[in-house]
Amino acid sequence: MNNKGQLLLLWTTPVAGILFLIAYFMFPAFAPPMSPTMTPEQVAAFFKEHEASIRGVIIYGNLIGAALVPLFAMIAVQMLRVINSSPVFAYSYIIATGVGLTAFILADFAWGVAIFRPDRDPQLISLLNDMAWFFFIAPAGCIIVQNLCLAGSIYLDARPQPVFPRWVAHFNILTAVLMVPAAFSVLHKTGPLAFDGSLSFTLRLLTYVMYVAVMFFVLLGIVNREVENEGVAA
Amino acid sequence: MSDSVSVDAPGIKAPGIKASSGVRQGEPWYKNKKLDQYLCFWSVPIFYTLFGLVFVPLSWMMPPRSPDSSMAEIVAFMQSENLLFACVILILSVGLAAVGNAVYMTQMRRMTVSPAFRFAFMAGSITGPVVGCLFPMFCFGLGAFRPDYDPEILAMLYDFGYLSFIGCLGCFCLMWSMLGLSILLDKNNILPKWLGYYTVWQFVTELFAATVWIAKTGPFAWDGLLAFWFNMVLYVPWQIIVYFYIYKAIQNQPEHELPNVLPVKAQPMLQGNAL
Repeated sequence: MNNKGQLLLLWTTPVAGILFLIAYFMFPAFAPPMSPTMTPEQVAAFFKEHEASIRGVIIYGNLIGAALVPLFAMIAVQMLRVINSSPVFAYSYIIATGVGLTAFILADFAWGVAIFRPDRDPQLISLLNDMAWFFFIAPAGCIIVQNLCLAGSIYLDARPQPVFPRWVAHFNILTAVLMVPAAFSVLHKTGPLAFDGSLSFTLRLLTYVMYVAVMFFVLLGIVNREVENEGVAA
Repeated sequence: MSDSVSVDAPGIKAPGIKASSGVRQGEPWYKNKKLDQYLCFWSVPIFYTLFGLVFVPLSWMMPPRSPDSSMAEIVAFMQSENLLFACVILILSVGLAAVGNAVYMTQMRRMTVSPAFRFAFMAGSITGPVVGCLFPMFCFGLGAFRPDYDPEILAMLYDFGYLSFIGCLGCFCLMWSMLGLSILLDKNNILPKWLGYYTVWQFVTELFAATVWIAKTGPFAWDGLLAFWFNMVLYVPWQIIVYFYIYKAIQNQPEHELPNVLPVKAQPMLQGNAL
């Protein structure tokens, strides 16, 4: 009985973290992020100016998105150990993860196509850039549902010793709430709710990084405890 | 639970053990043991209400506009501010589509069919909301987000939006065919057999929408009598009826099938739910 497989999956999360740090410091194309008030000509100029950086971001973005999935898979597996009347929350969680990941990858691709030929008509560059921002925001809705489902299954866990500590449920609900403002960013071109604003961009990104880091340690604890108490298959 | 109920639920396969015997789980704090299923079920009417709001009164994207509208009409539509409000609501509620589909899967799990059916269903329900829901609405939202785009670009987004919304049939046909076949093959009668036939009929008609990729006018266009309206007339009542029977299936699920009612002894490794 060992948990090598589960730990192996779990340790892809720090890998995602390292990739994120590399992307953040080596390719600072979006620090600070571009403003949605820019005209198509300014957007095209920005893309030409930051060509290498943006290429780096999209390649790393693709990898980071994928590297986070094993963490969510591990959460789903632990949700299946939670005792509810059915796996309905775990199913919702897996589907919502897939939807969010797909939207994130589409955002990445839209930026990738824009930077592939920055000499294209500025209108098209700007369109791809806007499309990328829309799809970059969209996973917020999926994270909200993922977190609410996880919280729901924790609250309803019938085990004498719950799989997830109760505070993880509160933490997930808090994270879900902090993701809500980002959805309103399509309505604003300036201020904290715009794509580059403090609520839509900075708060969301910080919350997400925090969330992933905390969930990593939560899962690490759960997997180790699982082995002590029950023994598990790899 | 008896073996005939579920063919693939390791951990809770313990024939002959009744819920009353053995040590119980820590008695859960909630009285309704199927609370998780009911919570998820009731997200469905909420989702469809929001979904309806997004596509009808907010965006007036539905009923569909004509594929051969004049450029002036397209530009006026693509620039309406309400499209962005519709996007906000859709971003916040799109995840609920996952919950609604999970409710189906939970009942498919009780049917005597291979897990492959619900896994294929799951694959369809991961792709569906992105290509058939988020993407089309974003195409319209993008036009409203930056009104100074060339009319040519707005017209392309208009086509892309409508074609992906109405012409998106692959993943939905996959989902409904998996559901329909599961109902027909199931020996536990979780859902009525006639509903299986209705489901098959429904997804076969959905294939009619394939013509929207070719026709620009007439009954086979995306606003046409056959490609759109005939589908809708079959689909809307079907969707309501299916959820009604899903609700009844949740209600009728016997207590001894529920892991949170089963005694600890019936679950040797304290396994919760199998996928």
